[in-house]
Amino acid sequence: MNLIELKNIWRIYKQGPETVNALRELSLQIKQGEYVAIMGASGSGKSTLMNVIGCLDKASAGTYLLEGQNITQRTDDELATIRNKTIGFVFQQFNLLASMTALQNVLLPLVYAGMEKEKRLLSAKSALKEVGLEERMQHLPSELSGGQQQRVAIARAIVNKPRILLADEPTGALDSNTAKDIMGIFNRLVDDGITVILVTHDAETASHAKRIIKLKDGKMLDDLML
Amino acid sequence: MSTIELFSIAWQGILSNRLRSGLTVLGIIIGIASVITLLGIGQGAKMEAEKQVQALGVNLIYIRPGAANTASISQGQGTAPTLTYEDALAIKQNCPAVENVAAQYTIGFQVQHGEQNTITNVTATEPSYTDIRNFYPVSGRFFNQNDMKEGSRVCVIGDTVALNLFGSDNPIKKQILIRGELFEIIGVMEHKGVTQSLDMDDQIFIPLTTGYATLIGLNAVTGRSVRSILVQCKKDEDMQAQFQITNLLRLRHNIHSPDFDDFTLRTQMDIMQTAQSITGVFSLLLGATAGISLLVGGIGIMNIMLVSVTERTKEIGIRKAIGAKYSQILSQFVIEAVLMSLTGGVAGILLGIFGSTSISQFAKWTTVVTPESIILSFLVSLAIGLFFGIYPARKAAKLDPIVALHME
Ligand SMILES: Nc1ncnc2c1ncn2[C@@H]1O[C@H](COP(=O)(O)OP(=O)(O)OP(=O)(O)O)[C@@H](O)[C@H]1O
Ligand SMILES: [Mg+2]
Repeated sequence: MNLIELKNIWRIYKQGPETVNALRELSLQIKQGEYVAIMGASGSGKSTLMNVIGCLDKASAGTYLLEGQNITQRTDDELATIRNKTIGFVFQQFNLLASMTALQNVLLPLVYAGMEKEKRLLSAKSALKEVGLEERMQHLPSELSGGQQQRVAIARAIVNKPRILLADEPTGALDSNTAKDIMGIFNRLVDDGITVILVTHDAETASHAKRIIKLKDGKMLDDLML
Repeated sequence: MSTIELFSIAWQGILSNRLRSGLTVLGIIIGIASVITLLGIGQGAKMEAEKQVQALGVNLIYIRPGAANTASISQGQGTAPTLTYEDALAIKQNCPAVENVAAQYTIGFQVQHGEQNTITNVTATEPSYTDIRNFYPVSGRFFNQNDMKEGSRVCVIGDTVALNLFGSDNPIKKQILIRGELFEIIGVMEHKGVTQSLDMDDQIFIPLTTGYATLIGLNAVTGRSVRSILVQCKKDEDMQAQFQITNLLRLRHNIHSPDFDDFTLRTQMDIMQTAQSITGVFSLLLGATAGISLLVGGIGIMNIMLVSVTERTKEIGIRKAIGAKYSQILSQFVIEAVLMSLTGGVAGILLGIFGSTSISQFAKWTTVVTPESIILSFLVSLAIGLFFGIYPARKAAKLDPIVALHME
């Protein structure tokens, strides 16, 4: 069974008289445990695709099956639960809450999940340990380097033990050495059985993946198994 | 997700921008404090008015010469001297619902003791005055029926007069001159304060009969005229007393139609109602002022919450991206608004209590902070938080996560 199955997905933005087809009749299957890199020119629809897969955005047309379930018609709250439990998201700009410490940021998905306090703390600490940041967990994001902030973001994304980790240009704001460290974490997570999908412009980064999907104008141009 | 959790998230939200939250709270503090203070002043004025009316005595009827429609302005020299001491005696004798009667004639005179002199009200009245007015001497005695019969030249002075003429000396047994007539002081009245705009302590009391013989004289038409008659009714018989007095006076004055009444009865109830309607309007005005300042405070909360939602769009997007539901975002912002308005409410209540105590201390006004006004203020601040917090919170909760995330 496919973990993710997109059938003829359209994402159409209407801006006044203008319409932009960010995704056009895109179909795609991803299995449990795959390591996928999505590439393509700027504006080709990579982020749009990630957002649809990550249930942050809804397709304009087409069908999305997640874990075999059709989720095209789910309510906003049901999608919120999926984002909380099944999917972890890592962004180029880290997107940490500035007023909270690293630990508090990592705890937040568990708070929304309604996990009890002690279990929450254990899970958050082990997630921070997994990204190698347990000594700096009482620091605010502004007191951390970019690489460290991205590690906090990864810890936050994996703290709820999701099946899927989505990363939209996770190394885009980092220098190449730091990027390598981050990719190392992703590689480990794949080894642990998490399905990782990442967007990148960088061939070196993409080379870590086992499958590369290339997009052009909202359509699949290429689907390469390495 | 538990309520405590929601509160803790909201609390973190408040703390994340202390200055903004502080200013919002300040708006509510000022609003609630002014409600408490102004209600306190209004309540105080009402209580003071009631106290003054009570101080007039219980079950009291006040009879004055002149028709009802001119009663309030007919106290001056032009008053027809239609009410007499004999009327007072007749009421005492013939009206069974009447407990006690005191006729009185008050007039201002110059009073001297040695070098000291002062102008004060001299009230010529009967010994029953003390019981009716519930106003007694602290030292010495009031004059009695014997003094009345003999027309003794004795007087009882109010504590303001005692202070003006004698300072800390004991005035009893001393002689004073009232418009040149010699009187011996036999008592000093207790302190009573101001009732019905008359300073009760700036008075000298003399027997009514002595008054006619020395200071007042007789009226050519009516003889022993009086300025007013105080009547104390028997308990729960004030309606009967009014009826009996009115009939008796009409009979004695040969009045056939109520339109020609040459006297006016005022009960304590009338006076109380007048006082209450005045203080009622006063309280209403104060309440409206306070209400407006609260409304402004509430709009302040909404304004700041809206700014806060816009400013924190990115935060909301992040929270939604990691799985916050509509209700969780909604309650975070509603609770933030409610916590701020309640904090402002509690601080405002304390400040208001402080404000009204200071006012009563410095301006010497009576102010009363009632438990009702505290509870009311608390509930109002809660309601303000809810009412003005819900709109911005809904706006936050409805944000599209993608749009929110792209906000910088
Ligand atoms: N909210 C939006 N409203 C209108 N058009 C949009 C919106 N978001 C994206 N688009 C358009 O959809 C197309 C795909 O955008 P998308 O962000 O997916 O590109 P991308 O491949 O991620 O590009 P980049 O590499 O620059 O991040 C673009 O033409 C973009 O202008
Ligand atoms: Mg993009």
